[in-house]
Amino acid sequence: MATQYFKTVEHTSTNEKKSFKLKKPNYQLKFTLDGHTRAISAVKFNPKGNWLASSSDDKEIKIWEVYSGTYMKTLTDHNLGISDIAWSSDSELLVSASDDKTLKIWNVGAGKCTTTLTGHTDFVFCCNFSPQSDIIYSGSFDENVRIWNVKTGGCLRCLSTHSAPVTAVHTNQNGSLLVSGSYDGLCRIWDTVSCQYIKTFMSDNCPPVSFVKFSPNGENILTATMDNTLNLWDLKKEKCLKKYIGHKNEKYCIFADFSDTDPKLIVSGSEDNLVYVWNLETEEIVQKLQGHTDIAISTACNPKLKIIASAALEKDKTIKLWEK
Amino acid sequence: MEGEFSDPEPGAVGEETKSENGENAPIYCVCRKPDINCFMIGCDNCNEWFHGDCIKITEKMAKAIREWYCLQCREKDPKLEIRYRHKKPCRERDGEHEAEPRDDASTPRKKAASDLLVEPMTIPKGFASPHKAPPPPAPGPVREVSNQQIKRSARMCGECEACRRTEDCGHCDFCRDMKKFGGPNKIRQKCRLRQCQLRARESYKYFPSSQKLLRGREEHFQLLKEPPEAVATPEALSDEDLPLDPELYQDFCTGAFDDHTLPWLSDPEDAPFLDPALRKRAVKVKHVKRREKKSEKKKEEKYKRHRQKQRHKDKWKHVERTDTKDPTALPQCLGPSCVQPAQPGSKYCSDDCGMKLAANRIYEILPQRIQQWQQSPCIAEEHGKKLLERIRREQQGARMRLQDMERRFHELEAIILRAKQQVVREDEESNEGDSEDTDLQIFCVSCGHPINPKVALRHMERCYAKYESQTSFGSMYPTRIEGATRLFCDVYNPQSKTYCKRLQVLCPEHSRDPKVPADEVCGCPLVRDVFELTGDFCRLPKRQCNRHYCWEKLRRAEVDLERVRVWYKLDELFEQERNVRMAMTNRAGLLALMLHQTIQHDPLTTDLRTNADH
Repeated sequence: MATQYFKTVEHTSTNEKKSFKLKKPNYQLKFTLDGHTRAISAVKFNPKGNWLASSSDDKEIKIWEVYSGTYMKTLTDHNLGISDIAWSSDSELLVSASDDKTLKIWNVGAGKCTTTLTGHTDFVFCCNFSPQSDIIYSGSFDENVRIWNVKTGGCLRCLSTHSAPVTAVHTNQNGSLLVSGSYDGLCRIWDTVSCQYIKTFMSDNCPPVSFVKFSPNGENILTATMDNTLNLWDLKKEKCLKKYIGHKNEKYCIFADFSDTDPKLIVSGSEDNLVYVWNLETEEIVQKLQGHTDIAISTACNPKLKIIASAALEKDKTIKLWEK
Repeated sequence: MEGEFSDPEPGAVGEETKSENGENAPIYCVCRKPDINCFMIGCDNCNEWFHGDCIKITEKMAKAIREWYCLQCREKDPKLEIRYRHKKPCRERDGEHEAEPRDDASTPRKKAASDLLVEPMTIPKGFASPHKAPPPPAPGPVREVSNQQIKRSARMCGECEACRRTEDCGHCDFCRDMKKFGGPNKIRQKCRLRQCQLRARESYKYFPSSQKLLRGREEHFQLLKEPPEAVATPEALSDEDLPLDPELYQDFCTGAFDDHTLPWLSDPEDAPFLDPALRKRAVKVKHVKRREKKSEKKKEEKYKRHRQKQRHKDKWKHVERTDTKDPTALPQCLGPSCVQPAQPGSKYCSDDCGMKLAANRIYEILPQRIQQWQQSPCIAEEHGKKLLERIRREQQGARMRLQDMERRFHELEAIILRAKQQVVREDEESNEGDSEDTDLQIFCVSCGHPINPKVALRHMERCYAKYESQTSFGSMYPTRIEGATRLFCDVYNPQSKTYCKRLQVLCPEHSRDPKVPADEVCGCPLVRDVFELTGDFCRLPKRQCNRHYCWEKLRRAEVDLERVRVWYKLDELFEQERNVRMAMTNRAGLLALMLHQTIQHDPLTTDLRTNADH
């Protein structure tokens, strides 16, 4: 009997070992990128996956080369700190949202600002390109979402249905839908053509929404709320499918991202200085990346490689690159 | 003061008596009575109070005394001596003190009985010196206006420099508030320079300052100000009259304590070139410096009249607090091997220290960073290099094209020349030209008149030139391209200060068509089917030929235009190259190297691409 028992144990342990390998990614810290002089607010990979852009409170955007982690260039033109950046789909343009109430479009190759978008009346908090990269969406503390034309720099529309600062805007893959999240606890889905909102998502007791994003397949929406939860909603059924907890998110607007690896992961920063990685299906925390000395505010997953970039706030001021 | 005792009983100090009243009243004096309703004088040694009547000291006489010891203390300790104030009026009085005291309309010094009960021993507030007057403070600074006698009061010791001043300075904030200086009389305080150094409220005075702080403040103050004007105006105040720390006061007046204009937060790069001037001044004698500062102060104060007084006071208080901690609370300067305290608001005691630290930092960190940089492959560098190569190639291509142009030009010239030379002799063949319908009328593009199509070309060219010559087209800069000799017209127009930027061969404004001699032949190479050269030339006399009017000019212009285009392209490429080079140098420049650092945690992984496929 003892031997039998032993056998079964062995068997399961090997099974477990296999599944262990499958389920737990093992991201290792590879590079630390140092160079910003104040807290970093956002990091984003370009669609090609070779550059990383980081925006900071020190009014600068720095472009880093991903593979070697070397610094490439700095884009300076803003008057106040920058809250968010976004790449265009051809990796040529960058848009930045700043506290000086403007957005700036940069040509990354030339390293210069080509257009400044003015119109918001308060800090601009979030920005994103449309997939065709001819339109920019931005959300601001003045509770509006603005739609801008990239070529002319003019504001096409101003959508004001939120009653609190808008913290995130994102479009789906084909650009037909826009999602906007705000501190009033609502996530609104808009139809970009008609600029009408078609759906609203709300958690129980309406915690402020700090981040929203479409999933790569466009059917789900990931929302981060300030009650230490990440929710994954199904768009059609309007139901919350998954909940990811374990991290800390009560004060800051922390970015989250989908990782298109196998198994699929959700990556998010946290206010306890760790980067959390969940398995999308099972909702369990598969890894906690440790290394930052301040709140990990922004994380991004490289679209081509299995690299995660994370950035932290004032006490840390570094970007860390983790690789599987 | 001997022989003034009426009661020889020694008695304990302030002993409570189970006395007549049945109360436990403290008793004083040699008479051992609790009576406090008369003038009393206190011994500075045993702190016992004595009635003036009992020891035969009048109030008047007591004013002349600075330190007084009772007879017993003096007998016990011969060192204790009664000290008088050393002033003329007092000395006079000293001599007279035995005599009857004069009638004086002095300040009523009556003390309330309750006051004495409550605080017989404590020094009343506001009194900094040992007490020689009755304990409770006299109300208000009522002064006797007697010649040469400076009254003492609660807020005036009567002996310091400030108390001795008789005139208001007229420049301090308190003076400017006075009615007589045109102020609203809201603050209602004595002139700052007349605030008693001993007894006045701290916030009304100047600070007693430490030497170091003075110098530090001066330095920074000087950094901000332009060098003072020639000190021609002699000040009314002599050196001795100046208060302890006018520098701080000046800083305060000029709002130097605004948070964002703190002088010591000025850009360190500005400092070096101001420093020599600074040092020169620092060597000067102190009182001269003060004089200069006075003139500066006058200048600044003119602009500061409308400041809110409240803010002034607040700032003053704030500075007071930081200064009183000085220099023990200031952190140490971060300069290497420097033990001086740092300037408030800065990390260094002087710019030198800051520079030294920065230099040390560079020496230490930079070599390591350079090494790191050279070790790790920088893909951006590679990109940059590729870009540069491409630009180079394109530049070369452009230059080749230029040379091509030159060649074509020469060819053209040759053709023209040949054509001219060839038919020196008169040619008789006159091509009748096309026998077109001459009834057709074309309208000239420029002037709008109807013209015969045969002469249309000629007319339109002429017409165009006529109108164009009336307009100018130029830029401010003369053309300075090497190798481009006759590209642009470049004729200077003094009125508009521009250089004509039309093609030289084509400019209607500045070059007139040369007169065509009668026998000159057109010479235009004839073509068949537009493109094929027949090798033949048009033999019509130039004057008559209507088809090939101005052909040389146009051909030359063609070549030139092409050249212009190539130059533009070169310019663009040059610009691109410059950008790439600048980006490359900046990336590996001093500032970038010092600021950015990429730490590799895994020594095996230098390039993430290699590990991409797991």
